[in-house]
Amino acid sequence: MLHYVSVNIDGAIIKAPKGSSVLEVAIEYGICIPHLCHVPGLSDIGACRLCIVENITDGRSQVTTSCTLKVQEGMVIRTNTDRIKRLRHNIAELLVAEAPNSRAIQDIAVRCGVKKVRYPFRNSNCVLCGRCVRACAEIWHANALGFVGRGKNRHVERPLNMREEFCKQCDYCVQLCPMTITPCDGPMKPGEEYLCGKCESQLMITEEVPDSCAWCRLGEGFNCGRYAGVKAVR
Amino acid sequence: MPKLATKEDLEVIGKQLLLDRKKINKTIIVCGGTGCKASHSQDVIEAINQELTTQEMDSSVHLRMTGCHGFCEQGPIAVIEPGNIFYCHITPEDAHDIVTRTLQNGEVIERLLYTDPVSGRKIRTESEIPFYLAQDRQLLSHNREVNPCSIEDYIAVGGYTALAKAINSLSPEEIIHEIKVSGLRGRGGGGFPTGRKWAECSEASSDEKYVICNADEGDPGAYMDRCVLEGNPHLVIEGMMIGAYAVGATKGYIYVRNEYPLAVKHARFAVQQARKLGLLGENILGSSFSFDVDVARGGGAFVCGESTALMASLEGKVGEPRPKDVHTVVDGLWHKPTTLNNVETWANVPSIILNGANWFASKGTKGSKGTKILSLTGRIKNTGLVEVAMGTPIRDVVFNIGGGATDGKAIKAVQTGGPSGGCLPVDKFDLPVDFDVLYEAGSMIGSGGMVVMDESSCMVDVAKYFLTFLQDESCGMCVPCRLGIDRMLEIITDITEGRGTLEQLDLIEELADTVTQTSLCGLGKTAANPVLSTLRYFREEYEAHINNKECPAGVCKALIEYSIDPEKCTGCGRCTLACIHGAISGEKKEPHVINPELCQKCGICRSECKHEAIQVR
Repeated sequence: MLHYVSVNIDGAIIKAPKGSSVLEVAIEYGICIPHLCHVPGLSDIGACRLCIVENITDGRSQVTTSCTLKVQEGMVIRTNTDRIKRLRHNIAELLVAEAPNSRAIQDIAVRCGVKKVRYPFRNSNCVLCGRCVRACAEIWHANALGFVGRGKNRHVERPLNMREEFCKQCDYCVQLCPMTITPCDGPMKPGEEYLCGKCESQLMITEEVPDSCAWCRLGEGFNCGRYAGVKAVR
Repeated sequence: MPKLATKEDLEVIGKQLLLDRKKINKTIIVCGGTGCKASHSQDVIEAINQELTTQEMDSSVHLRMTGCHGFCEQGPIAVIEPGNIFYCHITPEDAHDIVTRTLQNGEVIERLLYTDPVSGRKIRTESEIPFYLAQDRQLLSHNREVNPCSIEDYIAVGGYTALAKAINSLSPEEIIHEIKVSGLRGRGGGGFPTGRKWAECSEASSDEKYVICNADEGDPGAYMDRCVLEGNPHLVIEGMMIGAYAVGATKGYIYVRNEYPLAVKHARFAVQQARKLGLLGENILGSSFSFDVDVARGGGAFVCGESTALMASLEGKVGEPRPKDVHTVVDGLWHKPTTLNNVETWANVPSIILNGANWFASKGTKGSKGTKILSLTGRIKNTGLVEVAMGTPIRDVVFNIGGGATDGKAIKAVQTGGPSGGCLPVDKFDLPVDFDVLYEAGSMIGSGGMVVMDESSCMVDVAKYFLTFLQDESCGMCVPCRLGIDRMLEIITDITEGRGTLEQLDLIEELADTVTQTSLCGLGKTAANPVLSTLRYFREEYEAHINNKECPAGVCKALIEYSIDPEKCTGCGRCTLACIHGAISGEKKEPHVINPELCQKCGICRSECKHEAIQVR
């Protein structure tokens, strides 16, 4: 039997199943929290830090990622305060400066309010969200991909570059990769990157579920409704 | 030695060992810590041993190799008891003199005595040396009493009596209460109240619990944990055992950096000795308490000093931190409740149990109790390990114990707490060594590193150094830490190379705030401290780099130029010979000139010149 706890997210008192994360509960309820590394059904590692929220206990607020935060009875969460917006904006700016050639990341940046990027663009082809690594390990138990190196040298690679027979060729890694969708005008040339800001958010190649959320219709959401499509795929 | 079955066995053996020790009235204590070993103390020890054997004195004189005494600047050092005679900078050739003159005839060898750099006079005994006088050595003073490889030494000075007291006459709740009252806080950097941590862990219900000793010390210029674990491993193990009894753990791990081979060796040896005596294992000292310790070697990542990354590493996974929404005292190693403390924290436990919480709490300030070991390095006369009571002003540490700057330069700042700490300027030197006060000042005690900087250090360059360190050591998992540090370093590099703008200073402040608030683990959360504290106290240096394109300390290579003062240059030609880039030319006895196109700004000419004719601008 499912146990329920009641949590307060942005003022709404929500009955949430015990063991679920704040991010899942918020999305289910229609409260939009931007996120990149979270994929429904996969474990959460809190790598992209876009889904940060304020967890208020005893009048003290703590910034933490909602994907790794499990709901607890009486929890008070604020997802859209000025402080969170500012921090989220800065993280999205870091991300888009790193990978302007991804439509998904361009969209996240625009929706987090990034209008101008204050760092030189770098145009790398991976933001290390770890979606592919976790999908490979957790859906197929194939472990054909992994993180290698640390700090600046961290990258995704086949372990020891030699475990190809473990790869089930399911293509999930490609489907889940936020880097596979280029901006509408096509890939930007090195040195000519810019913040587009015109695209609609599309983090995954699935059928869109239209009009699922009022925020999206208002143009302020993050198209979280498309998860219905992802669940169908799985 | 037989196995110790009861508390009484321990007492009997302790008394016996003490009597044995008293029979030999002459002792020569030679430091065998890593610092002194680097200055060849091993050769000195062998030479003295050889000399004692040839003079047939090895039964009447006890030669004790110990862990670090702290005064590493003067190594190798030796203390001769009775008399407390202190010799420094000993070479193997001095062994003959020491044995024949001092040990046999009681004569003091003048040339081996320590010279006080302030008064210039020779100091005869260890206790008169200002470096030691100004300290309050509670933990480090044990080091000279015991040979780290001998459990007999440790038991002779009262070792494991705190354990016997704890498991025989105190309940776990009483121990936790005692630790809470003592006000002991985590010495590894966070300063979390140890008693509260233990209480939370003991309340967590589980079939198995763990205690871990974190000896993965990686701060540049810090070696407190190394010296405690190398010099007195049994003290740490005893602390862990008391902690394990209090929280209900049955298994402990000492996680040591692999770069500390001596600490690994001594810890392993100590564990083996304790097992042999029955101090580790089933039913310790006749009680129902069973406990064992294993020594694990670290994989070489700085981030593995972070508790969750350390546990991942212990489990055999990649040493990466995980979110700590559930604390490790509830969900730690193998998802079991785990109490993780720093080496120094564990080492403080036995004396609290023996002497009582009030004894411990009598030292220190309101929020920070007891003593703290600091590793004092940088541009000062007496570098080494220093132990002071909490609340001692930084000024006392730097000037009274450290002896002030070398070469008569002015001290500009002190960097406390390693890469996670910050720089405090000289006008903040009245601040006490205290967790909360230093935190408010934008720095922290951290694990206890103290790097003193003089006017020849550029603070922008210092910030750049720490960012480079952190960029290499970040695990790279979360965005703010990986990209944030990277971008901060990019901006600081711009500033040091003369491309900086004033807007970038605002940007770096905002970015630093984001990294601090949103990073996953402690490494990222404190990564911005070196930048923020230097910006707070040395903003004018940043502005000089940006506005005037100059580096006031003459460090940042892109902004400085070497030239020769024709007035001072005698044309001796030393610089021409020294310059490996062939950038200096000139006729003999005529002023020389530096070709700026060839000059690599290495500074060799400057150190070679006897007439101070080389200028940096």
